[in-house]
Amino acid sequence: MKLYTSKAETAAASVVVVDDMILTKEMPTAAGSKMLEGYRSLFDAEMITRLHAAGYEIGGKAAVGEFAIDLVGETAYDGACVADGILRNAAAEIIKAGEAKAVVGLDVNGSVRRAAAQNGLISVKPTYGTVSRYGTVPVACSGETVSVMAKTAADCREILEAIAGHDDKDGTSLSEECCAQIKSGGSIAKPAKVAVITGCNLTPDAEAAAKLSAFGAMLEQNGISVTAVDAGVLTTASAAWNILMSAELCNNVSRYDGIKYGYRTENFENIDELYTNSRTEAFGVLLKTAILYGSDALSSENYMKVYDKALRIRRVIADAFAALFAQYDAVLMPACSKMVYTEADVQADRYISFAENCYTAPASITGLPVVVAGGVQMIGKAFAEPMLFAMAELYEKEGK
Amino acid sequence: MNHETLRRLTLLNQLSLTDAQKEDIIAFFARQEQGLAALNVVDTESVERMVHVMPILTVVREDVAAQPFTREALQSGAPDAGEGYWRVPRVVE
Repeated sequence: MKLYTSKAETAAASVVVVDDMILTKEMPTAAGSKMLEGYRSLFDAEMITRLHAAGYEIGGKAAVGEFAIDLVGETAYDGACVADGILRNAAAEIIKAGEAKAVVGLDVNGSVRRAAAQNGLISVKPTYGTVSRYGTVPVACSGETVSVMAKTAADCREILEAIAGHDDKDGTSLSEECCAQIKSGGSIAKPAKVAVITGCNLTPDAEAAAKLSAFGAMLEQNGISVTAVDAGVLTTASAAWNILMSAELCNNVSRYDGIKYGYRTENFENIDELYTNSRTEAFGVLLKTAILYGSDALSSENYMKVYDKALRIRRVIADAFAALFAQYDAVLMPACSKMVYTEADVQADRYISFAENCYTAPASITGLPVVVAGGVQMIGKAFAEPMLFAMAELYEKEGK
Repeated sequence: MNHETLRRLTLLNQLSLTDAQKEDIIAFFARQEQGLAALNVVDTESVERMVHVMPILTVVREDVAAQPFTREALQSGAPDAGEGYWRVPRVVE
């Protein structure tokens, strides 16, 4: 576990840690990349301002993988968090150690949800646009969402309510009326029918499958109907998200050139070498691959058949979810194919996060809210956070 | 993906790769082709592109002149700066 800075002096109950994708004036922000090593923002992210206003102290920063596109943080430039060969997520370790009430981070490619599922924690990826992204390091802007991870659903909801709301500084921020819907208050309708998605691209192993079965059984014991539904077109979400995420990432990281801020190589004789060597020395292989994949998708030869296709598939997936929500109140899916990732997994396939996201991409590409509890994802229609939290609390009460 | 296209992409994106990385990345592209083939099974001829996941309108606000940061502050994170300028290698010989 790595904390760049740990300056909390008050009780953990009022301490929130943010991950390294969130800009902070008082602490460096590196986005897990050598490119931004030592970088210090001139301003705080909007969520930091809101957390301060609500009386929370920012206790430190949790390490992330380079630009948060990996599994659980293993591509951080200063090394992965590993114990006995098992990959650890810094944010999850901080919460399990009781060092903070919650960690607020940026869910780009599902790492927050995977970490919560694998560590028995609760997380919420709220409806896209309900929490300001002002002051987050931009990667895949059309789908990335500020998310919260905590030990309990109540803590998760408390922090979400502190940071949610319209922000003029974020062009994708929804209206205050929309944002208010994700906050608690009033009576919350108990879900009556839930669909469990089967037939995903990767088959979950026995432990992950057991988590899903147990959660479904818990819901049924509480009078909620649970029906297995084939993933169908949702299986295309991973490929489409890989295209969109990489294309947006390619554009967003083009700003890192070794001139204005960030890392600059010492090995150059002219301006072209300065650009190329700075980027080559600072970026990891996974990020370079995503840059090249995104650049290829945006090329004139491939724009229509790759990038445009992915945008159309995004609507197909959104329509598929709409059809599901016409029949069911929520959708259950695994968050990951296995409950533990090892160093060997990543050594065997450095691009594993581009396949493992078959579970997280459907909600990333559509901006739908997700609450993780009991090791599984609960996906709802837009602004269904209160109902998803109610299911998580049901699990806490009866499922553990 | 082939070596020539990859060479053009790396040039465009100001990156340099080792031979082993090139082979690795070409293999990655081949794997993604399988995913793309699955996308092509879905008929999207009459499907409208979805750029924004939420119905977000362009936010319009009054233009208000302000200077939130000084030049010195903006240059504080630069790898090399001085006398109010970002310092870079000579561009014109």
